[in-house]
Amino acid sequence: MLQKLGRIPIGLTLPALAILLVVMGIPMVRLFLASINAPAFSLSNYQAFFSQPANVRVLFQTIEVSAVATALCVIIGYPTAYLISAAPKRLQLTLIVLVLIPYLTSFLARTYAWVVILGDHGLINTLLLNGGVISSPLPLIYNRMAVYISMVHIMLPVMILPLVSVMMGIDKSLVAAARSMGARPSAAFWRVFFPLSMPGVRSGSLLVFVICLGFYITPAALGGLRDAMLSTFIASQVQTSFNVARLAASAFILLAVAGVVLSMIGLDLSDTQGRTAQRTQRARQRRLPPFGALRRYFGEGADHYRAKRWMANLYQAGREDPWSILEILYIILVMTYLLLPGVVVIIMSFSAGTYLEMPPSAISLRWYRSFFQDPSWNGAAWTSIQIGAMVTILSTIVGTLAAYGLSRTSSQLRGSLTMVLLAPITFPSIVVAIAAYLGLVNLGLIGTRTGIVLSHSIGAICYVVVIVSATLATFDRRLEQAAKSMRAGPLQTFMRVTLPLIRPGIIGGAVFAFIHSFDEVVISSMVSGFSIRTLPLKMWENMRNEIDPTIAAVASLLMLLPILWLGALYIFWWRSRPQLQSVATV
Amino acid sequence: MNVHVRNRIQSREDQVLESSLVPTQIEFRNVSKSYGAVAAVRDLSLSVGRGEFLTVLGPSGSGKTTTLMLLAGFEAPTKGEILIAGKSVGSVPSYQRDQGVVFQSYALFPHLSVRRNLEFPLEMRGIKAGERLARVDRILQRVHLGELSDRMPVQLSGGQQQRVALARALIADPPVLLLDEPLSALDRNLREEMQGEIKNLHQEFGITTICVTHDQEEALTLSDRIVVMRAGRIEQTNTPEALYDRPATRFVASFLGEANFLESPFFEIESDPPQPVDTVPMIRPERLGITTLTAPRKPDADRRHAVTGTVDDMIYAGPVRKYNVRVGNCVLVVREHVTSGQHTFQRGDEVRLDWLRSDVRFVAG
Repeated sequence: MLQKLGRIPIGLTLPALAILLVVMGIPMVRLFLASINAPAFSLSNYQAFFSQPANVRVLFQTIEVSAVATALCVIIGYPTAYLISAAPKRLQLTLIVLVLIPYLTSFLARTYAWVVILGDHGLINTLLLNGGVISSPLPLIYNRMAVYISMVHIMLPVMILPLVSVMMGIDKSLVAAARSMGARPSAAFWRVFFPLSMPGVRSGSLLVFVICLGFYITPAALGGLRDAMLSTFIASQVQTSFNVARLAASAFILLAVAGVVLSMIGLDLSDTQGRTAQRTQRARQRRLPPFGALRRYFGEGADHYRAKRWMANLYQAGREDPWSILEILYIILVMTYLLLPGVVVIIMSFSAGTYLEMPPSAISLRWYRSFFQDPSWNGAAWTSIQIGAMVTILSTIVGTLAAYGLSRTSSQLRGSLTMVLLAPITFPSIVVAIAAYLGLVNLGLIGTRTGIVLSHSIGAICYVVVIVSATLATFDRRLEQAAKSMRAGPLQTFMRVTLPLIRPGIIGGAVFAFIHSFDEVVISSMVSGFSIRTLPLKMWENMRNEIDPTIAAVASLLMLLPILWLGALYIFWWRSRPQLQSVATV
Repeated sequence: MNVHVRNRIQSREDQVLESSLVPTQIEFRNVSKSYGAVAAVRDLSLSVGRGEFLTVLGPSGSGKTTTLMLLAGFEAPTKGEILIAGKSVGSVPSYQRDQGVVFQSYALFPHLSVRRNLEFPLEMRGIKAGERLARVDRILQRVHLGELSDRMPVQLSGGQQQRVALARALIADPPVLLLDEPLSALDRNLREEMQGEIKNLHQEFGITTICVTHDQEEALTLSDRIVVMRAGRIEQTNTPEALYDRPATRFVASFLGEANFLESPFFEIESDPPQPVDTVPMIRPERLGITTLTAPRKPDADRRHAVTGTVDDMIYAGPVRKYNVRVGNCVLVVREHVTSGQHTFQRGDEVRLDWLRSDVRFVAG
């Protein structure tokens, strides 16, 4: 059976496509039809949307906030990434880990951290009040500034990581060559290094922008009433009046904005890409700008052979001059921005009083006790773990099969199929949520675990596909030929040669699949039907109602998880290369 | 016309060869392979005798690698038939063919130790652990890698990887060994050493070997017979010596070694017996003698043809010295072994070049 499927590689993508189609694809089509077909064919729903100035204002605000946040990420992220890429090996690894930790941390926990810091009774106001600098709390929260601060905080790792990986891939001898030809350091940077780093800027910007467009939780938690994003707007429409046609129109407008802006940025910047880039890779990226960005991004992180190249690059990465005081200060500042909120929440979670203090006047574990004793909290956590485990198993198997199938098909077909498969993470999450809601209504799975697992899996499969594909891309097909020349059949070849070699990618995919499910709140809030409460749902409810400091304990515990993830990835990615380690000792 | 001439020259030599051959192990019958509109191999017919070492030589894009991939079963022919030991293998997948393959980059499994790599083909043939151990030990001894059996492939040098790849291809005693540019990744000294090793192994195992390469030296050193390919077709097949001495075409003459084409009517080459009009006279650089204009006539001067020219350039390359000599509007390459007391010519010297008329070959233009 498997052998037969193996002969028709495209068949291996069928399970993934089937899940995607049922949960999201068919409902998307029906949504679109509803938006232009209510009651008869017309664009009236779209006209209705644009005829209300408030709607148009929200639309432009969404684009504006996303663009500003992306620009801020580039401005802060580029120098950071440059300094990281030029750092000595050990420091470089440390800095990358420090960027990865917030990236892998629950974004609800990170959003909550900013509520705690910026709130009227938050860290900054408390300190200023106690210090006698001000007499009444400053309005730091529920405004646009708070939205930017937390959005940039959340998106900065997404910008820095692809930038670092591209910059580390740049051959430093090129800069040296430019200098040998008489270019001053600044000229060498702007004429050689900067153009070569553009692909990273492009990948990072596209990724940040598309995620920002779909932001829902953060603006809702930290923004004022006038800072609503389109996602928030759509979500509130769902809660107030479930008018499918109106909803569908708003969703497709959001989708269209994402599509238009992405293709503009994608096309525009792809021309400035390094000419030395491999032609096939370029062609693929030009065709699929967002996908190329994602793929490059995950590919760099996921692929352990590339990691080997990183290691090699580390040796030549050192600059002649060490960092200046200014540069050290800058790095410290950025790292503080990334990490301090987590530290603050962890410290405050040990407060003994009935509300959170900074610094805590007395230390106690009462909020941790409350988490472990309150069934509504630990029950939610347990539900999330179970759902996460099921999502991980399902999406790892289905996603690996799909990635393997894709790697065996013609590049044209591969491009379009991958783009389809990645829709759940390239579309704004509120759009996916609405589609999944309709899909699960059709299946009668609203408010069931199966329903939540399916709706999480469509996104989780994307991560597995992207990461496993990246690993397969550098997998030497001749190893499979070699195995077959030694009488290993297709199944034996896969189990004995291919699987062990792409295992790090599969493990990486599984970790990201779990993180995706464990942190998912937008889709869950739509499809849980109030009967199933996951941990993020419980946290979100808590944040909105500002009731219970137990959430601080939960957020602190969630911040420990990335260490677990990094440990797992370390074991499977680094330790799976005994080759490299022992080379050093030879 | 061209093809006709080539075929005539070739068939004469093929008759000599094929009649002396041992039983046929591998046969290509009118095999073609195209990728879309691109024809990689066109109408290839070839037979390889049991125990023969055959090299397929050609520039990149000549279809030599495709030929090997067809034989290994990684590609299926578009047309024609491939027979191994008399049986058509057209529909047999690679993993059901009995063969050892050494890949260009060796394709050692990076996640398995040397020993586990060597065990792989035995395991796939269902050989018991005890015997596997013995056979791995035996072959490790044979390729002088006994102490490296627990290393991972990346911990080996290029030459050691090459040995492991060879051992892995040979360990299950397949009747056919396929080598894909086996020495291209090695540096020069190691390459010579490994050429000897491959030759020894071939003689020891008596295995039918097909080697694909673009390196003429490798082909001349290793092979019983060489197939020169060009643009998907066989240009000429013969033993290394015959191929070098009697190239059938201009392409073979210049791909295998250096050649001077005496095309200009200026040289007044007369042929006896007369050659077809579209052949070109050719002479190898080492067959040319170079002397001063005033040097005494050689004893066999009446069998020689002489011209005068000017030295354009002298290149010293250790055991040999090369001169580029301008004769009329042509430049002839002369290769002379360095000996003591020899006259060395400088740029601008007037010289006389001469050669035995019997050393001139006529190749299809």
